[in-house]
Amino acid sequence: MSLTLANRFALKRFFRGEPAKSLSLLLNHRRIFILPNKAGLALAVVILLMLIASINYSNSMGFVFTFLLASAAQVSTLFSFRNLSGLSISSMKCDPCFLGQTSAALFTIEETQGRERWAITAKIDQRIVHIPHIKPYSHYQLSVPIVPKERGLSALNTLTLSSSFPFDIFRAWSPLRFNRQILTYPKPKSFNQPLSVGRFLHNGDALSSTQMGTDDFIGFSPYQHGHPLHLINWHALAKEKGLMVSQFSTQQQAETWVDWFNCSATNTESKLSELCQWVLDANTLSINYGLRLPQLDIKPSHGILHQQTCLKALAVFKQSHANR
Amino acid sequence: MQTVNLNPSSHQLLLFICSLLILPHIGTLQTLFIVIGFCLLGWSFLTLYFKQLSPSKWLLLPLSLGLAFLVFKFHGMSLGREASSSFLLVLMGLKLLECRQKRDVTAVIFLCFFVLITPFLFEQTIPLTIYSFLIFFLLLTMMVVNSSQEKSLKTTYIYRFSAIILLLSIPLMLIGFILFPRMIGPLWAMPSDSNTAVSGISNSINPGNISKLVLSKQQAFSVQFNGQSPAYAQLYWRGPVFWNTDGRQWTLSPPKKLINTANLPPATATYSYQLMMQPTQQHWVYSLDTPRSAPSSLILSQDYQLISPKKISRTQAFKITSSLNPVTDPVLSPEARQRALALPSTTDDRVFKLAKQWQHNNPSSIEVINQGLSYFNQQKFYYTLTPPSLGKDPVSEFLFHTKKGFCGHYATSFSVVLRAAGIPSRLVAGYLGGRYNEVGGFWDVRQSDAHVWVEAWVDNIGWMRVDPTAAIAPERIQFSLDNEQQFGDEVKFLIDSPTGISLWLRQLESLALTIDYYWQNSVLAYGPEVQNQFLSTVGINGWEDMMLTLSSLAALILVSVTLYIYRISRLKLDPCQRVYLRFCRRLKRHFFEKHPGETSKHYFERIIEVDPTLSKPLSAVRQSYLNCRYAKADIQPLITAIKAFKC
Repeated sequence: MSLTLANRFALKRFFRGEPAKSLSLLLNHRRIFILPNKAGLALAVVILLMLIASINYSNSMGFVFTFLLASAAQVSTLFSFRNLSGLSISSMKCDPCFLGQTSAALFTIEETQGRERWAITAKIDQRIVHIPHIKPYSHYQLSVPIVPKERGLSALNTLTLSSSFPFDIFRAWSPLRFNRQILTYPKPKSFNQPLSVGRFLHNGDALSSTQMGTDDFIGFSPYQHGHPLHLINWHALAKEKGLMVSQFSTQQQAETWVDWFNCSATNTESKLSELCQWVLDANTLSINYGLRLPQLDIKPSHGILHQQTCLKALAVFKQSHANR
Repeated sequence: MQTVNLNPSSHQLLLFICSLLILPHIGTLQTLFIVIGFCLLGWSFLTLYFKQLSPSKWLLLPLSLGLAFLVFKFHGMSLGREASSSFLLVLMGLKLLECRQKRDVTAVIFLCFFVLITPFLFEQTIPLTIYSFLIFFLLLTMMVVNSSQEKSLKTTYIYRFSAIILLLSIPLMLIGFILFPRMIGPLWAMPSDSNTAVSGISNSINPGNISKLVLSKQQAFSVQFNGQSPAYAQLYWRGPVFWNTDGRQWTLSPPKKLINTANLPPATATYSYQLMMQPTQQHWVYSLDTPRSAPSSLILSQDYQLISPKKISRTQAFKITSSLNPVTDPVLSPEARQRALALPSTTDDRVFKLAKQWQHNNPSSIEVINQGLSYFNQQKFYYTLTPPSLGKDPVSEFLFHTKKGFCGHYATSFSVVLRAAGIPSRLVAGYLGGRYNEVGGFWDVRQSDAHVWVEAWVDNIGWMRVDPTAAIAPERIQFSLDNEQQFGDEVKFLIDSPTGISLWLRQLESLALTIDYYWQNSVLAYGPEVQNQFLSTVGINGWEDMMLTLSSLAALILVSVTLYIYRISRLKLDPCQRVYLRFCRRLKRHFFEKHPGETSKHYFERIIEVDPTLSKPLSAVRQSYLNCRYAKADIQPLITAIKAFKC
């Protein structure tokens, strides 16, 4: 990859990092920047004062130690750089969360150069995690808390790795952007209109009906084309009883629709919050539920995957759909 | 900044460094401030074990103000070296007491760096420099500890880091030292640091302060001749010239006319040499009698004093040429004659009688001087460092009563009698002789070589050097005083050549002095003049050139340091990896590149797809590589397999 000159000197590059292209980045001279921190500026003042004292007294040894200090400070920048360079950072995952909750961005830091690393700080949006020590050729699992500010899919903000090692006078930092998105569900809103199974019941007799399901074994039935193979009772086949399939039932307690149009709130976000709460309630009650949004219907079902589908639909819901 | 509490072991290290920093100040600073410094450190040490002892803000603030006032009370509102050193020591101790955070530790460390250079304002010796390098190393270590928040001081990496950085920064420091443009003179008027008076010849001369000086072993200056040295008895190092006396004390009047060295008649028997002056806080440069040419920064006065316009407050080197023959001055101005004949008001008849007596046979100036010298020789004059004290009329009392004295007494009385006899005379203070250091090939002139002699005006010849001490103690003209061997009244000279252990010790001393000489000559005397002179020989003229060379060389050094660091990280590849990667580069020339992070299995498979015949040799290479790399097998099979590989 090469950068154009304009890209190279864009201020954004120094603080926000290069545009995200992958999930894994290697820290090298192009991504590591270094500047003196406050203590470094104070040291510069000290060096200047020492220089003035040396000049004033024409003191050779004063000059020697003044220059030695300045040189050591200068040389230390190389070691600050080396403390970060050659680390390979991979974004592992970001669990979805509800708006207002704290999630964590997980990274793996791999040491590829066979050096020990000290006192590195990781930061996303002012949330700081200290990494005291990384051993040569080791993997470090880094988890940085993130608090998403809005619902929906958003790109993971810049992860800044920084280190002031070894002298705490220069801060080397590397802003990293990963091609990783965070899914944020709407904030669930508890309100005085709990999900009532009866109220939103679509077909009243559903409660008593027995539906084919996966929970309880209820007997065998002859094989029909389309039955899953794992349901075939091979023992029965071996006993020459013909091709039979096991039958299971689901105790169908209730089925409901979590419906956009039944919301009490008027604005979109509040409606989404209510829907979100209902989805959670429905899941707690272990009932089948479907989600009805403008321009989107999710058929009633249950289970963790179904919940996630519904929540994701709520998360990415666009304002423009609501107006239609 | 974090609010991490300072852990005890790094606190102890910091305290240790601070006490090391106070130690060299013992003897140079007021004892009070040394004691205060150690007390503050002790207090800080106690807070480590008794948390309740750590002072509150309300105690620290008045304490700081009080201590600052104390410094102010002792040293006044000055920025002198003693005031600032004391103040820094106190500040360091106070800051240590409120050392709670990482930030505070950083502040203390920075203060320590400043304190580190303060002892050099008083003396710049080799041992002190080595000692300071050690402290510097510890301070860097402390910075690493503070930065990494390491709990244990036994971890080696903190020392390794500071040692490597210290070593790598030395070349850069040397470049800065040599090339950073030096400025002349103090930036602000330095207060005279009164109570550390430098021993040496001062503005006024009386016999007492000369004999006190003679007991000092301190070096006054050192001289390296280009070529042959003159004879010992010719080594009169000329300092201030005194015209005014009251019989006891000689006082200085400002030199009036200045000489343009270019107008002097050509000199014969010249010697050129490099003179390295120790700081005297005076203006005189002690050149060999008589100076003929000197650096343009110096002024030559009418009475051949070589004067530096600025006080010599640091070690400075000068290139001077002198001639052993005095310059023939044609005439003595009436005004100068009057000054050179002025008699102390206390002069009594006996002095005039003695002058008459010297003039008795022959009134010519030379004869009178010779008469005077033989008078001193024949009468029972006694050369001693501890003469009896003299009363109201010191010249007569010495000449006719006590007859015990030192060069100051002889020169003073001789000059006064000459004046009484109508011969203009003046007193010259300086040094005589020195010790020749055979190891370094230079003359080491010490305060104990201080000497005073007389110059008399002889018509048609000019000012002539007359040394009455030579008439009384001829040994003084040939040997240095042995100031380790002075007992009672007797004055001992370094006459006997040493043997055995003492010879060996003398040689060892010579060696030490030689190291010190080169240290002083090349390091301490490296000031604006020497820098200009030295750098112009390599074609660097003016500060613009210096800055340019400085920055380009510094950049060059940084690049090499970077490459060096890069190399050490490259060398971390184990040999097996290196051989394997070299093999991959070879494959790249024939096929394609190995992707970064691609395994050998995958890479080789891709190649085999292109050229299936390579399947066998490649898997042989791979197997031996994996064995070597992960099963810790020998590297030899890998090399053999690679050698056998042909494509």
